[in-house]
Amino acid sequence: MRAFAYASPRSLDEAIALLDGAGDGHAGGTRLLAGGTDLLTLMQADLIAPERLVDIKRLAELDDRIEDGAEGLTIGALATLAELEEDPFVQSRYPILAEAAGLAATPQLRNMATLGGNLLQRPRCWYFRDSRVHCWLKGGDLCYARGGENQHHALFDVSPCVAVHPSDPAVALLALDARVRLRGPSGEREISLGSFFAPPEDGRRKETTQADNEVIVAVRIPPRHADARGVYLKAMERKAWAFALVSVAAVLRLEAGRIAEVSVALGGVAPAPWHARDAEQVLVGAESSADLFARAADAALTGAGALAKNGYKLPLAKALLRRALADLTGQPVD
Amino acid sequence: MPAFRIKRQEGDDGVALQLIESEGDLPPWGPNEALSVVGHPYPRLEGREKVSGRAIYASDIRLPGQLYGKVLRSPYPRARITRLDVSRAEAAPGVHAVLSMLNAPPIGWYQEGQLFESTVRLVGDEVAAVAAESEEQAEDALRLIEVAYEPLPFVTTIAAALAPDAPKVHESGNIAGEPVIYERGDPEAGLRQADVVIDERYETPCALHNALEAHGGTAFWDGDQLTLWDSTQAVFVVREEVARAVGLPEHRVRVIKHHMGGGFGAKQIAWKVDVIASLLSKLAGRPVQLILDREAENLVSGNRNPTRQRVRLGARRDGTLTAIVAEIAQAAGAYRTGGEASDVSGTYQSLYRCPNVRTEQTAVYINAGPAVAFRAPGFVEGAAALEQAMDELARALEIDPVELRRRNYSEVDQPSGKPYTLPEGLRLSYDRVTEAFGWQDRPRPSSSGTKRRGTGFAAHDWVGGGGHDPGYAWIEMNADGTVEVITGTQDIGTGTRTGLAQIAAEELGLPLEQITLRLGDTGVGPYSPVSSGSATQATIGPAVRAAAVDLKRQVLDVAAALLEVSAVRLSIEDGKVLVDGDPERAVALSEVTEKIAPHMLQARGCRAPNPEDKAVRTFGAQCVEVEVDTETGTIDILRLATSHDCGRIVNPTMVDSQVIGGITQGIGFALMEERVVDDRLGIVLNANLEDYYVPTVADAPPIAHAPVDVPDLAANSTGAKGIGEPPLIPTAPAIANAVYDAIGIRIREYPLSRQRVLAALAAAGQGEARS
Amino acid sequence: MAANGFQPVTLTVNGSDYPIMVEPRRTLVDALRHDLALTGTKKVCAMGDCGACTVIVDGRAMYSCLLLAVDCAGRAITTIEGLAHGNNLSPLQEAFVASDGFQCGFCTSGQIMSLHALLQAHPHPSDEEIARAVTGNICRCGAYANIVKAGREAAEAMARQQEA
Ligand SMILES: Cc1cc2nc3c(=O)[nH]c(=O)nc-3n(C[C@H](O)[C@H](O)[C@H](O)COP(=O)(O)OP(=O)(O)OC[C@H]3O[C@@H](n4cnc5c(N)ncnc54)[C@H](O)[C@@H]3O)c2cc1C
Ligand code: SF4
Ligand code: FES
Ligand code: FES
Repeated sequence: MRAFAYASPRSLDEAIALLDGAGDGHAGGTRLLAGGTDLLTLMQADLIAPERLVDIKRLAELDDRIEDGAEGLTIGALATLAELEEDPFVQSRYPILAEAAGLAATPQLRNMATLGGNLLQRPRCWYFRDSRVHCWLKGGDLCYARGGENQHHALFDVSPCVAVHPSDPAVALLALDARVRLRGPSGEREISLGSFFAPPEDGRRKETTQADNEVIVAVRIPPRHADARGVYLKAMERKAWAFALVSVAAVLRLEAGRIAEVSVALGGVAPAPWHARDAEQVLVGAESSADLFARAADAALTGAGALAKNGYKLPLAKALLRRALADLTGQPVD
Repeated sequence: MPAFRIKRQEGDDGVALQLIESEGDLPPWGPNEALSVVGHPYPRLEGREKVSGRAIYASDIRLPGQLYGKVLRSPYPRARITRLDVSRAEAAPGVHAVLSMLNAPPIGWYQEGQLFESTVRLVGDEVAAVAAESEEQAEDALRLIEVAYEPLPFVTTIAAALAPDAPKVHESGNIAGEPVIYERGDPEAGLRQADVVIDERYETPCALHNALEAHGGTAFWDGDQLTLWDSTQAVFVVREEVARAVGLPEHRVRVIKHHMGGGFGAKQIAWKVDVIASLLSKLAGRPVQLILDREAENLVSGNRNPTRQRVRLGARRDGTLTAIVAEIAQAAGAYRTGGEASDVSGTYQSLYRCPNVRTEQTAVYINAGPAVAFRAPGFVEGAAALEQAMDELARALEIDPVELRRRNYSEVDQPSGKPYTLPEGLRLSYDRVTEAFGWQDRPRPSSSGTKRRGTGFAAHDWVGGGGHDPGYAWIEMNADGTVEVITGTQDIGTGTRTGLAQIAAEELGLPLEQITLRLGDTGVGPYSPVSSGSATQATIGPAVRAAAVDLKRQVLDVAAALLEVSAVRLSIEDGKVLVDGDPERAVALSEVTEKIAPHMLQARGCRAPNPEDKAVRTFGAQCVEVEVDTETGTIDILRLATSHDCGRIVNPTMVDSQVIGGITQGIGFALMEERVVDDRLGIVLNANLEDYYVPTVADAPPIAHAPVDVPDLAANSTGAKGIGEPPLIPTAPAIANAVYDAIGIRIREYPLSRQRVLAALAAAGQGEARS
Repeated sequence: MAANGFQPVTLTVNGSDYPIMVEPRRTLVDALRHDLALTGTKKVCAMGDCGACTVIVDGRAMYSCLLLAVDCAGRAITTIEGLAHGNNLSPLQEAFVASDGFQCGFCTSGQIMSLHALLQAHPHPSDEEIARAVTGNICRCGAYANIVKAGREAAEAMARQQEA
């Protein structure tokens, strides 16, 4: 790791002031340090070389509180994945989020990793993570994965970059319609997770629309019907400690045998957590059946094309989605 | 008293002398002999150190003034270095030495390279090295080294390397050495005589050892003495190779390895890091610690060679094999490292009785990390193909796969024509494993639903496990009757310390606590060979026993004088000298030894050659049950049973651990382990533990070990053979066979990743049918 | 901060305070192994991929290769060296020896620290919870079954000690 300076400011404004105008921390500049589990790996691999790290764990305004209120569930940006996994309220009311957090990484990483950092973690594309390769996402001209080893890459071609977003919690949060509270030099704003994430594009080669001098303060899950249930399924290369090849988060409410409300998100298929609106349209108002789920699964992947080596993800994603829906509606899995 | 003979032979290369040691004609412990220490479970002698964090590994050495080394590596798979400037690095803060082709002595390395060269042949090839006061300073200094490369065309696959106009990895071309051809009988005629022929192609991946402790060590070149604390399976090999490379006589080089964090075959030779650390230390005049980082570990320090194998089996209706033909290509990487060879063809020649066999094995250079032995090198790759092919044959013939193997049983090592020392070893493995698993009444595969279960079987033989000469042990008895055993072998995590101490304790009639074992230091113990080939217990065990026998004779002579009885009436049990027929006169051993203090009794033992007229081999077999999810491609291993002939089991705890650990690696090889290279860039994309998947606790299934545990009396005086490598040999094909049983699809390319399973299901129209 | 980029930090490890000077880039694992010479904690990947560097920070198991030493001021750190009382191994360490919960021993400190954190928080874990606690610890020697066994036996031994 290259040398850098370490600052531990008292107030959030001080931290934001340090960020302001300091660049994106790619070469030089300033980066915020939360759990450090992504940031330090990027620095160890010499992918970024910030001049200064600003520790945000000791700021009075940031916290790890998980609180239920009239506005729904508010999760402080510093809440760790372990706290999300273990929180009794999350376990009982939002088990989908506890599951997604609990399936991420390992106990040690979950004890360190914060939710804010988790949303902002960079892709695991192996070309991206190799300092010898100057690919498009890192400012180069070419996406090496497209014509290369793309077995872990995206099904939806919505960006010059076909890396998939690595977060598990983000997929569950998207299905829960979560919103992100950001604070910048000119105050706070709250945006939907769907607009917080955006496939990288020319002029914005990163996975979010967050400005470089904005800090995630909290994530909010709006109140929802008490009968809504959710499930998170994740397929990996081994039984644990791997990023999702494909994951599915589904939240659903039945009313008199019909699907009254449903939301579906997929992970591992696009550069941002993927909101499967087409599947929702097929499902909402319908009576649950194996056939319906099969149609929803097909709909969820309309527009998905396969790269040379990731074709297996198509049937995998469909199977996981069918199973998630069957599970939520009490249908037999087979 | 051990003695030796010398055989003199005059040949074209001059006089050759063969020194043949004698163990003193020791009869082996009998099969029914009641042994009080050997054969019983004991915890590892070094357990306390390892669980308290006090065990010292090569990277834990802390010496005054110690520096830290780092290596600059080539970012290109093949290139010429056109300019190299290290001056800024030399001037950087904290830097004490910089080594590169500009100042390194010309030292030949690998079979076809140099320590530092102006041509690099793989991503990760060594370009320069720095020693500085901290790791961070060394890393900063590396960034100051200026290198200009002229990239050259390269090849990273076997197919590309064999293409007509392929870029040449070495000037000699891309074939590494001569193809190795073996033939007996008339294989083509055998195929013609066959009622059924299986003709299939299989591929095995490049697997990375990923021992948790990386290669490297701490070197201190002090005056004319070099001490190297190294992570190695072979202190004497490293001493010899490093001494030769750096130009020191052997007695000025001392190699120490107290504990090692895994090697799995990759640490049986000296590596460039050993020499670089030594030379940096010489330049700096200070100790230098140089440990590879994980990426370098996975790029340059060995791998299991990927293979492509075409296998043809011919058999009659009754299952009798008429021909076995295997054409094998394996990728050696950019260099040949030496050490144990990856003999992929070996198992084809020996596992089944067959008069007509041909194997042809070609090693190919590619611009990637060099291959080196990896736990049962060659046999793992060979069995992965042969044992699937045998299953395919069994299906074609509609014969039970175990029965098919029984019908082709060989009691003779066919290439040499010698009978095995334990000819029933494999048969006993078949019996025990099928019984433990319940093979006869195994569940039949389900043919509907998305979760399909199936069972699979595979067998193996292994050329190792027999041990070999020479190898030495010394033994000393202190004034209080306690014993020190000293040998130059090493414990690589296999339990060598404990197993050898048990041999000494058994022979001497002492409780294990009264034995201390010292090993892993060329400056302390006598020559012992590399710990590879599952050989250590079978090599050094008999040497320890021979030394103990001699020591016992000496101490009983002393006791005889003390007790005024003939020594032949004396024996030692549980630390006491007993007089035959006169229990009253028993005395504690310490009473005897104290009488002659400070004189010390000492003895030496050595390993004699293996029997000339017999072949020592190890065998085993596995049964496995899997569940395959036809929609998600998930393979769950529900249970696995295994049985192995490793001769006498000296310590059941240690053997169980070897078995379970080996199978866990076999599961990794079967299901998830594969180096991925971008063939356009020549870059390894997963030289880490994130994308190179090794099994976690969640991937390890319940394993039932049904040991054979029959002493191999013809093998050596302890009756024990090795178990380090065998357990992993049959695992991958047993799993592949079970997957076939479950879903009716053959996957002939390992590993059976989710990706391959889903692709195979889709190709067979099964997975897609449901979506 | 000193001109050379070094700054003071006091690490509290196994109950003792260690004031040291480090660069901010020094990770906790390097500080432990180099500045404090506590080499029981191992460094294997430096990327959060292996678990060999596991230590306990404020009661929770963490990877010391992804923590900065300067970020650990004021946090209670326990390493493998902190488990034994003098020459008496902890029940968990004893159980690792008795169950043969290791071969080469290189992952062992990390495995033990993960299980120690578990047993501190949940003295009566199920086998599943024990296995889950070490999912973040690779054992390349494959000693997993015996690692889980050691966890179980340690929990039982500790329960017996409690009763006594
Ligand atoms: C081996 C390994 C396996 C993993 N497996 C998984 C997995 O299976 N599933 C999964 O979801 N994740 C996985 N992760 C990723 C892990 O969850 C993230 O690294 C972690 O959540 C990041 O949080 P952190 O607090 O450590 O962030 P940091 O590393 O501290 O920060 C990450 C980025 O976010 C910025 N940042 C952090 N907090 C804020 C904030 N509040 N406001 C603004 N910017 C901020 C930082 O500046 C930095 O750029 C894995 C990581 C590793 C190393
Ligand atoms: S997928 Fe994205 S990160 Fe990967 S190589 Fe392409 S552009 Fe780079
Ligand atoms: S060294 Fe920290 S996880 Fe591997
Ligand atoms: S004991 Fe060797 S890695 Fe676990």
